[in-house]
Amino acid sequence: MTGTVPRRPRFRIQPYIEFAKKAMAREGTYRFDVFTTVGSFVVRLYLLRMVWTALYAHNAAPVDLSRHEIITYSAVALLMGIVMDIDQTRALHDKLHDGSIATDFMKPIIVPLYFFADGTGEVLFHAALLIPSILIALLIFNIIVPPPMVLAAFFVSFLLGYLVGFFLNFILNCTAFWTLEISAVQLIVTWLTDLLGGELIPLILFPAFLQQFIYALPFAAMFSTPLLIYVRQIPPARYLEVMGLQVAWIVVLGIVSTVMWRAGARRVVVQGG
Amino acid sequence: MPIIEAIDLRKVFRRIVRQPGIGGAIGALFSREYEDKVAVDDVSFSLAEGELVGYLGPNGAGKSTTIKMLTGILVPTSGVLRVAGLVPYQRRQENAQNIGVVFGQRSQLYWDLPLRESFELLRSIYDVPLNRYQENMRHFAEILDLERFLDTPVRQLSLGERMRGDFAAAMLHDPKIVYLDEPTIGLDVVAKEAIRVFIAQINRERGTTVILTTHDLADVERLTPRIVLIDHGKVIYDGALERLRTEYGTHRVLVVTTVDPVPDDFAVPGAEVESREPYVVRLGFDRRTLTAEALIRRVLERYAISDVSIIEPDIDTIVRRIYLEGYQQNAVGAPS
Amino acid sequence: MQTRRMANVYRQYWRINILTTLEYRENFLIWFLFTFIYHGTAIASLWIILAQFPSMNGWSFRDMAFLYALWMVAHALHNTFFSTVAEIPDHIRDGEFDRLLVRPLDTLFQAIATPGQVFPDELILALLTFVAATIYSGVHVDWTFVVFIPLIVAGGALIDLGLNLIISTAAFWFVKVDALRWIFVQLEQEFTHYPLSIYSRAVQVLLTFVFPFAFMNYFPAAYFLHKPEDAHALALPAAAGLLSPLIGVVFVAVAYAFWRFGLNRYQGVGH
Repeated sequence: MTGTVPRRPRFRIQPYIEFAKKAMAREGTYRFDVFTTVGSFVVRLYLLRMVWTALYAHNAAPVDLSRHEIITYSAVALLMGIVMDIDQTRALHDKLHDGSIATDFMKPIIVPLYFFADGTGEVLFHAALLIPSILIALLIFNIIVPPPMVLAAFFVSFLLGYLVGFFLNFILNCTAFWTLEISAVQLIVTWLTDLLGGELIPLILFPAFLQQFIYALPFAAMFSTPLLIYVRQIPPARYLEVMGLQVAWIVVLGIVSTVMWRAGARRVVVQGG
Repeated sequence: MPIIEAIDLRKVFRRIVRQPGIGGAIGALFSREYEDKVAVDDVSFSLAEGELVGYLGPNGAGKSTTIKMLTGILVPTSGVLRVAGLVPYQRRQENAQNIGVVFGQRSQLYWDLPLRESFELLRSIYDVPLNRYQENMRHFAEILDLERFLDTPVRQLSLGERMRGDFAAAMLHDPKIVYLDEPTIGLDVVAKEAIRVFIAQINRERGTTVILTTHDLADVERLTPRIVLIDHGKVIYDGALERLRTEYGTHRVLVVTTVDPVPDDFAVPGAEVESREPYVVRLGFDRRTLTAEALIRRVLERYAISDVSIIEPDIDTIVRRIYLEGYQQNAVGAPS
Repeated sequence: MQTRRMANVYRQYWRINILTTLEYRENFLIWFLFTFIYHGTAIASLWIILAQFPSMNGWSFRDMAFLYALWMVAHALHNTFFSTVAEIPDHIRDGEFDRLLVRPLDTLFQAIATPGQVFPDELILALLTFVAATIYSGVHVDWTFVVFIPLIVAGGALIDLGLNLIISTAAFWFVKVDALRWIFVQLEQEFTHYPLSIYSRAVQVLLTFVFPFAFMNYFPAAYFLHKPEDAHALALPAAAGLLSPLIGVVFVAVAYAFWRFGLNRYQGVGH
């Protein structure tokens, strides 16, 4: 049929929902994940509680944060970690490793969106693990629940932070287009995120000369911002400002992701997978 | 004195019976029900030094369980087992020194390093004297053509090259007995032949006793004059390959190509129609009751044919039939 | 005879380790960077917290630095020589373990001497950190210190090995032990960063008399930093820390007995 320009197929959401479901089912077969995640959560929260308790017992509080508030901070940070400390776009790396990425390019799907759907499925499964963890945090550790408006702001900020984390993870997995051994790099970024993102230690406790620098990093946008909103260290007046920074990071990392993806995809097509 | 002797060897696995569903899971907390699976059921055989034996059986027959007991990995439930004068599971390390094992599906070579390094490490593990090591290396490099890739990392070798490396590795310490588990699996025809030549050679030149487990019956036909057949944990045949063929290979197939389309009522006395196509029909017959010549004549009497051929039973078919139907000594009459 | 053979194999094992590490140089550098950041962030965290809260149950940052460094050396020692024990469950799962049974050497020894990318980089880093921390903390370096610290560190490595071996032995029963390992690794690696006294009594007893991680660094540090009240709290003598080598030997002996039990069962029951 000469002269006919092939039309792009109409975009359908259905296959992506199926991908997400598949990812959820896959995670569900790892039953020990439930035991690990909830068990690990309890152990770490217990540790943090004892650490803060001991510190507050013998020292004056250096910031306007009570012991109970800081324990709440730790609990919420760990809860966020359950959903965010996972390799959401692991599928990309796996597929590059075994070469099956080549066949994906031949399918009528938008490949990055596939990874997003797949990753979201994994995340949603982990979100289900949140429920027993949240119950434990509330009932056993008695964490504070802020007023509804603050809570709502927290959720918005959390979602923004999740997106920052998603793109960061995607960028990391994209490096697999060039070097397959990325687990060390991933771990390095994870550890840096733990420290510099305020997951373990609230950023307000960092020495003053470091704070300016750290708040500007994407890691802070992932964890610290929503957490500080939750414990009301960031007042409503500043919500727009801090969320704006999160959005800025989403845009920047989104652009880097796109560039890397295009470069990587081109490499695969040229080299044959 | 046989080098391997098994008398009433028995291995029973005790498994917990799980009832399905939630009710079963809860029930399992209170009372446990066990079921015994007899994997090896009073198996007896003996091997003389220097024999080459094929050990065959369908999956789940008890083959790998027997091999595991022979190699000292598994402890038998009961029975007598002696390998080169030792009880394998009681003197595991000594027994290990006497044997070599090649697992077709898994290599024992070290992935990241040149082949040579694997051999060096195995030399230390098996404590092979230097001159013996060098002599063996020289010998194997020659027959297995290893020289070319001795310095290549194992992960870069082809399957055939890696398998040859595994064979050399297994023989490095001059074991008295080698166990070969699916050694030719996945190899191309040329590589298979090279391996078979090697096995025959080490058996002939060094008197190494060889136990070969395989699903490729061409290996058996080429190498092992004796086969032991195991099914459902029991030895169902232990003897010469040829005898099996003559005793059980009584079924033949005559393939007839007809001039006219094969009629629906095509029939010939003494033979059974096994399959039909528009112009081809396959007739099964027992060569003890009817010769091929006689059958052809009967067919000619009734139908016009343009071509005939006879299919001899191959070991594959014979063995498969034995698995399906069970072995009967001196089976009489055509199998159904 | 066996010892000579094992010595030979062990020497070969290290030779292959070095060769493999050099073969994958870039990989090694990245992993070293990770090791550096792993310990770096841990120490940085302690520094940041203690800059704001100067005392943790009577322990200052200088004390905590010494506490951490002592653990770090024991842990690095274990990782250098015994990390391979953690791979045993993988061997069992993929059938490689049977290969070890078919060779004329002790299976645990073979598992330990499984070549891979092992290099004593963490150990070197730990030793440097320990020297720095010793100076920084102002701990008194006398003959007791010089004689006992190597023993204590060895004992600590054995405690780590004991835990590693127990979890790997569990693989004879449960094919997947990752969850178990993860929880215990957290228990050991994170709880030992802080003085034992901050935990509830039950946890203190657990970490002293059941899984003796407190003997890896806490009790020895308490002794050398002159904090006897911490040992007394658990009805232990002030010099309890000096018993660490003995505790390590006992703990690893218990773990080894469990290993032999598991191995026997594996050979009886199969998998």
